[in-house]
Amino acid sequence: MYNTEVRGKLIDGDKSLKQISKEILAPIDAKTPAWWYIAFIISLGMFGWGLYCKYITISTGIGTWGVNNTVGWGWAIINFVWWIGIGHAGTAFSIFLLILRQKWRTAINRAAEAMTVVAVLCASLFPLLHMGRPWLFFFIFPYPNTRGPLWVNFNSPLFWDFVAISAYMLISASFWYFGMVPDFATIRDTTKSKVKKAVYGFFAFGWVGSSKEWLRFEALSFVLGGIAAVLVVSVHSIVSTDFAVSVEPGWHTTIFPPYFVVGAIFSGFAMVLTLVTLMRKLYKMNDFITDAHVDAVCRILVFISLIMGTAYLTEIFIAWYSGSEYEMFTFFRNRITGDYAFQFWAMFVFNALVPQLFWFKAVRKRLWVVFIISIIINIGMWFERFNIVITSLTKNYLPANWATYSPSIIEIGFFIGTLGMFSAGVLLFFRYIPMIAVSEVKSVAKFDKPIPSHGEHGGGHTSNERPLTTNNSQN
Amino acid sequence: MVGVFDNEFDLLQAFGKVKSKGLKIEEVYTPYPIHEILEGMGTKTRITHAAFFFGLFGALAVLGGMYYAAVESWPLNFGGKPFNTFPSFIVVTIVATILIVTLLTLFTFSARAKVFPGKKAEIVDIRATDDKFVMVVDASSPGYDAEELTALLKASGASDVY
Repeated sequence: MYNTEVRGKLIDGDKSLKQISKEILAPIDAKTPAWWYIAFIISLGMFGWGLYCKYITISTGIGTWGVNNTVGWGWAIINFVWWIGIGHAGTAFSIFLLILRQKWRTAINRAAEAMTVVAVLCASLFPLLHMGRPWLFFFIFPYPNTRGPLWVNFNSPLFWDFVAISAYMLISASFWYFGMVPDFATIRDTTKSKVKKAVYGFFAFGWVGSSKEWLRFEALSFVLGGIAAVLVVSVHSIVSTDFAVSVEPGWHTTIFPPYFVVGAIFSGFAMVLTLVTLMRKLYKMNDFITDAHVDAVCRILVFISLIMGTAYLTEIFIAWYSGSEYEMFTFFRNRITGDYAFQFWAMFVFNALVPQLFWFKAVRKRLWVVFIISIIINIGMWFERFNIVITSLTKNYLPANWATYSPSIIEIGFFIGTLGMFSAGVLLFFRYIPMIAVSEVKSVAKFDKPIPSHGEHGGGHTSNERPLTTNNSQN
Repeated sequence: MVGVFDNEFDLLQAFGKVKSKGLKIEEVYTPYPIHEILEGMGTKTRITHAAFFFGLFGALAVLGGMYYAAVESWPLNFGGKPFNTFPSFIVVTIVATILIVTLLTLFTFSARAKVFPGKKAEIVDIRATDDKFVMVVDASSPGYDAEELTALLKASGASDVY
């Protein structure tokens, strides 16, 4: 059972329920700050450049990218895996911490879920445009057609990927949305603006907080939480089979599914950390995202970082232990040393060594250090995907096929476009959606407070004597 | 009769007292779910059972669909492997089943809890989604006495009774 003594307070400042709704919803009613417009315009600019690059890709073709016959997967697949990995934090946060009854998740899960939806949207663009003829993308959907009917290959990880990503997209979006319905109702009932009342009132779907609604809402969270937990593991396992099922040296290995899943959660949590430090700094959510919250995420990251380091070393060990000269070449001559040694060591240092700084409390409590390390992990995880995709492809079995790869300006622009899309999405989220789950924070507020002293309850109850069976925040 | 409470402990106390008097509680509106209330109201939900059957249906439909496409409709020979490659069908079955369960459970929730786009909220007390806990007692239930009930609600800590 959750014990506030271990983790520190869930909410600082002894807030009433009214203060909780008021303070979390304040940015929605407040005037949009100037920095928001500046950041949004920059994001839109990046997004615009991305759109231009997509236009060039579609109108001219994949030839505008740096990919060639040998290295058929370039930045597009690196970025796809990177974004999907980031997108894993939403479900990991909402579901795993829900199952583990970690009440501190209530302050962060909304942001993590929002991030998931935008990141998965960004990710899905890459395979779509990599198809070359994206206007025929629906061919991958198995439907009775006039081409035979010609069905898709159900044994192909690329098809699994399509199913997994679209399912993940729809499920995380609906999980996110239904979690927000009670909060939209709160906005509807507390705002003074008529327009906001109408708009949020529509999105609240007529929610009033009756016991019949809550009962089914809880059942829904239970079902969705239970089955979506499988997705956290399955989606990135499937992404890893894109690699593991092929017979490339460095890819054809059984460690890939767990390695990818852990890496995904690692990068996702790092991105969550980036976002919550921003929320604390920009929106002064310090009372809801307390030092204890940041501390908890840092502790998780240090643990996952150890798993990442172990995975890297295991891969190298197995390459040696296998006795396969192709595996040996890939790992020892083309990753640890060789043309791409910088990317390998960047991956190793950024993911396995730098996060070890989180062992120190002095590091964990300095927000700007935490912010910088979270960015470093994100960069490190990008290098990990570069390392996997590019090194194996450039030099495989036949030296006659060897080639080098460097991205074209169009590929770089495409990636920057998705960065712009992500930050624009996050900014819109900050501005128009309650960035912390109001109803869930309210439900854990009582754990920090003594029971009120009138009625039959004496005044002598403290939070330690509280009947913890009133554990009612399951969603 | 509507009693408005400032916190869940007062609400729970009043809830228990009103129930033990044999009065019918029409509905309770709270800013967050309170398990004692959800149990005490006596309404049961079968959404979890429905979800199981959605899952069963989904798994069979997806597996059946793939079997039909790969074995019946257009069998393709991939290196002499069997047409019905059941083990690799499992991957798609799991993920697609999860999707089917999620969507159908959402629709079931929407229909049963009557939470859907375009619904007009029937608000009893507008503060219930913010910081108040609102209990509505049925005035037509036997043994109902307005004065006595008002006193009872006030004594349990109601901040407002009307």
